[in-house]
Amino acid sequence: MTSSPPELVVPTAIRDRILERAREGQPEEICGIFGGEYDPAPDGRSRVRSQYPAENVAETPRTRYRIDPEAQLELFEELEDRGEEIVGFYHSHPRGPPRPSATDEAQATWPDRSYLIVSLEPLEVGSWRWRERGNEGRFERERLVLD
Amino acid sequence: MRVTVDVKGEETHEIDLETVSAGSPNGGAGTGGSTPTYQELLAEIDLSPHEVSVLVDGRPVPEDQPVESDHVTVLRLIKGGSKPPIDRNR
Repeated sequence: MTSSPPELVVPTAIRDRILERAREGQPEEICGIFGGEYDPAPDGRSRVRSQYPAENVAETPRTRYRIDPEAQLELFEELEDRGEEIVGFYHSHPRGPPRPSATDEAQATWPDRSYLIVSLEPLEVGSWRWRERGNEGRFERERLVLD
Repeated sequence: MRVTVDVKGEETHEIDLETVSAGSPNGGAGTGGSTPTYQELLAEIDLSPHEVSVLVDGRPVPEDQPVESDHVTVLRLIKGGSKPPIDRNR
């Protein structure tokens, strides 16, 4: 156990914009990418500077999300051109759960990055880091700090 | 041929194709002695097509095709969803 959990600092305006997108996008899931300062340490503090909305191209967007690789690369290049790092990602769960689902766990691929989830029912916003050790992975809850 | 493999958000690898074993049973189109596939290139850096996409000039390429470019970009996939998986093979 670590005494100090990792943190994700998110400007309130960005949190509000994502919530707005999630509400506008329901019943489908929405998704996007966070740029800013990335700290992978066990007690690291990553800071979101920008959010980059992406189209959800999953075949069943009410219960799944997927970002198209070409669009993903374009967003990464835009983010890097602004001097930002890849901090993590966000997506919505229109009907919950307010935490990573089994699908989120099965499909997570970015070690130490933040995965922020906006649940609309119940209304809750939380963030987790994807931690990998060997062939196993798990989501670790992190503190969400509004700035 | 030396191939630069840029794993976005992580490190960049320089891989000599001569050192990549081609024609493994899971390597798709590759057969013994032929050019390694993108999948075999990924295996060199402990990645699988289940977790990444390979792009050349900004466009995805099939992982079972022989490596033809000296610069490839590798993207970890961004996906998930609220409901539990039904088909675990997808």
